[in-house]
Amino acid sequence: MPSYTPKAETQLPSPDLQTSTFVSEMQVTIAGVEFQNPVLTASGTFGYGQEFAQLIDLNRLGGICVKGISADPMPGNPPPRIYETESGMLNAIGLQNVGAKRFLEEKLPFLRTLRARCVVNVFGYSTEDYVRCLDILNEGEGIDAYELNISCPNTRCGGMVYGSDPKLTEEVVAASKRAARFPLFVKLSPNVTDIAVFARAAEAAGADALTLVNTFVGMAIDVETRTPRISNVTSGLSGPAIKPLALRLVHQAARAVRIPIIGIGGIASAEDAIEFLIAGAGAVQIGTANFYAPDTAIRVADGIADYCRRKQLHLNQLVGSLKLPDSAVQ
Amino acid sequence: MKPNACDRNRRTLGKPGQSPAYRNSPGPFAKHSPISPGEARSAIIETMYDEIAAVAGNQPLTGGHFILSVRSPRQAQEARPGQFAMIRLLGHSDVLLRRPMSIYDVRPEVNGRQALSSNSGAPVVLDFLYKIVGRGTELMATLRPGDKVGLLGPLGHGFFAEDYLAEARQSDEVLHVAGGIGIAALVLPARELTQAGVPQRLFFGARTRDDLVGVDGFEPYVRETILATEDGSLGHRGYVTRPFEEHLCRRTGQRLLILACGPWAMLEAAVALAQRYGQRCLVSMENRMGCALGVCLGCCIRVHGEGHGAYERVCTEGPVFWAEHVVWGKDALPKT
Repeated sequence: MPSYTPKAETQLPSPDLQTSTFVSEMQVTIAGVEFQNPVLTASGTFGYGQEFAQLIDLNRLGGICVKGISADPMPGNPPPRIYETESGMLNAIGLQNVGAKRFLEEKLPFLRTLRARCVVNVFGYSTEDYVRCLDILNEGEGIDAYELNISCPNTRCGGMVYGSDPKLTEEVVAASKRAARFPLFVKLSPNVTDIAVFARAAEAAGADALTLVNTFVGMAIDVETRTPRISNVTSGLSGPAIKPLALRLVHQAARAVRIPIIGIGGIASAEDAIEFLIAGAGAVQIGTANFYAPDTAIRVADGIADYCRRKQLHLNQLVGSLKLPDSAVQ
Repeated sequence: MKPNACDRNRRTLGKPGQSPAYRNSPGPFAKHSPISPGEARSAIIETMYDEIAAVAGNQPLTGGHFILSVRSPRQAQEARPGQFAMIRLLGHSDVLLRRPMSIYDVRPEVNGRQALSSNSGAPVVLDFLYKIVGRGTELMATLRPGDKVGLLGPLGHGFFAEDYLAEARQSDEVLHVAGGIGIAALVLPARELTQAGVPQRLFFGARTRDDLVGVDGFEPYVRETILATEDGSLGHRGYVTRPFEEHLCRRTGQRLLILACGPWAMLEAAVALAQRYGQRCLVSMENRMGCALGVCLGCCIRVHGEGHGAYERVCTEGPVFWAEHVVWGKDALPKT
C-alpha cells in the first residue's frame, strides 16, 4: 500500500499556525521507502554513485537510481552513442552494464554505506529476463527498491516494447511484482498515446510507484555525410528540452492512479522540480543535469526546502497542489 | 573518508599501495583479456577538481583556431601529459554539455605566449587549443579575460608515465603524429620526453597551412618538424602519413615509439603503418562526451575483448590507449 497519495487533499496551514520558525518536513515516504528528501539521481546518469563521491556529498541525496542492471552483462551499442541537441542530448547507450551478479559484488557494498536510498533499475529482454534479474538482485543487502525499466528506447527487444503495449506492461509488472523482494517502481515510456492507460495498467499489475518519464525517442542527422548522428539511428532525448513534455505526462498520470509518482524529465533547478511536485509527483529525479552540474540534486533539494519554508508548506502539502482554472475542472 | 571543505573536490582513484601499472599495456599485439568498463583501473590520476575558473586569455590564431587560457593553479599543477579537462560555458542552457579539451599546456605566466616553454615557477594557467567547429566553440571564441567558465579536470589517464616514459627511454626516437588540433594532446608529452632526454620528431598534418597551428610551441622539443597539408599550401602535399611512412621505412631496424592524436582516419592509417613496421604506438582518442566522469558511457570506443569488455570509455580508461588495444576499421568507427 502506498504510504501517501500524491493526490492527497492539500490543506494550507492556517495563518495562525504560521511562524517564522516554520520547519518544513522534507522526508518523503514512497511505497514504504523513506527518503530524507524528495530528490533522487536518475538511472544512467549517475553510474553506481561512487563516481561522484569526491565531487558531491552523496549523503545529502534522497536516493540514487543506479545504471540499468540486467541479469547478464550487456556490452551496449556501437559508437557514436550520444549527440548534443539544443538544450538536450540524444543517447543510445544500449544499457551497457556489469550484470546483476557483479553489481551485487562490486557496486552495492559502497551504495549501502550511504544515507541516500539505493534504487536498482532493472532491465530485461523478456519477462523471464526481468524475473531472473530480480531473483539475483533479491539476494542483495542494501537495496531499498527496484525501478523496472520498461521504457528504454534503445534496445532491439524488451524495454520500450513492454512499455508501449498495456497488456505487456501488465504482464511484466505482475511477474516482476511477484518476484521482487523490495518495493517496485515502474519507469514508464513517454512515447505512448495515452499515458493514463499505461499508468493504470502498471498500477493494476501491482506497481508500488511510477517513475515518469524515460527519454523521448528522437533523432539527428549529419547533413554532410547524410548519416544518423547515432549508430542506433534513433535515440532518447533528455535534458531541459523535454521538461514541459514530461510535466504534462506527470500531471495526467497523477490524475489516473493512486500510487505515488516520481517525476523526471529535464529537471535542472528547484523551480523545475517544484513544478513536478505541484503537478503530482511525490519525488523527483535529476538526470542529464548530473553530467554538466553534478551538484544539481543537492541544489534542487535545498531549493525545495527554501521554497517550502517561504510558502510555509510541508512537502506533502505541496505535492499535487496544482490549482486548476475552473474552466479546466470537469 | 569524508571530504572536508577545502578538499571536497579531491578524488583519489586506485587503491593505496597498488602498483600503477596500466592494464591496457600488455605488450605489442598481445592478446587482450576482457576488460570491464565498470572497473576503475589502478591509476596515476590522483585528483580532479570541479570549479568555476576565470579566463586568462583567448588568443585567436589562424584558421579559426584559438588558445583559451584558464586560471586554475591546482588543476594546472595536477595535470599530466595527455590529460584533458571539461569546459562548461556558463549561462547558455542551449549548449548543455561540457566540452572535452586536451590540456595543451600549463604555465606559470598569465600574460604572453612566450612562457610556453617556460619551466620556471609553478603552473597556474591551463591552455586549451581549439577550433571553431560548432555552436559550443563559437561561443567559446567570444570569451574574454575575466569571464568565468566551468572547469572540471584534470581528467583521464593521459600518457601514463611509468609505461610510456620507460618505453620512450628504450626507443631510439619518439615520433609524434598529429592531425589538426590533435597536436594539442602532444605538447605536454613532448616537453616531458625532452626533460627525459628522448629524441623526438613531429609529423604534423592538416587541411591547409592555416590549420597547422601550435608548431612554434612544439619546435623546442623536436629535432625535426615535418609538415603536410592536404592542399599543399605548406609542407608535403597530401596526408601526413606519407612522410611518416617514409621515415618508418628509413628507420627500419630501429626501435621507435609513436604517439598519435588526430582524426580517426589519420589515427587508423598511422596505427596501420606502425604495426606494419613493427613499432609500438600510443593513440590519444577523441570522442563526444556527456560527463567525462565515466557514468554516461557515451564516449565508449570498441576495444579488443569479449562481450562486456568490448567497449571502453575514452574519458576514464583513456584517452590514451595502446593502438593494438583499440578495434580499428569501419565497424568501430566513431564519428569525429
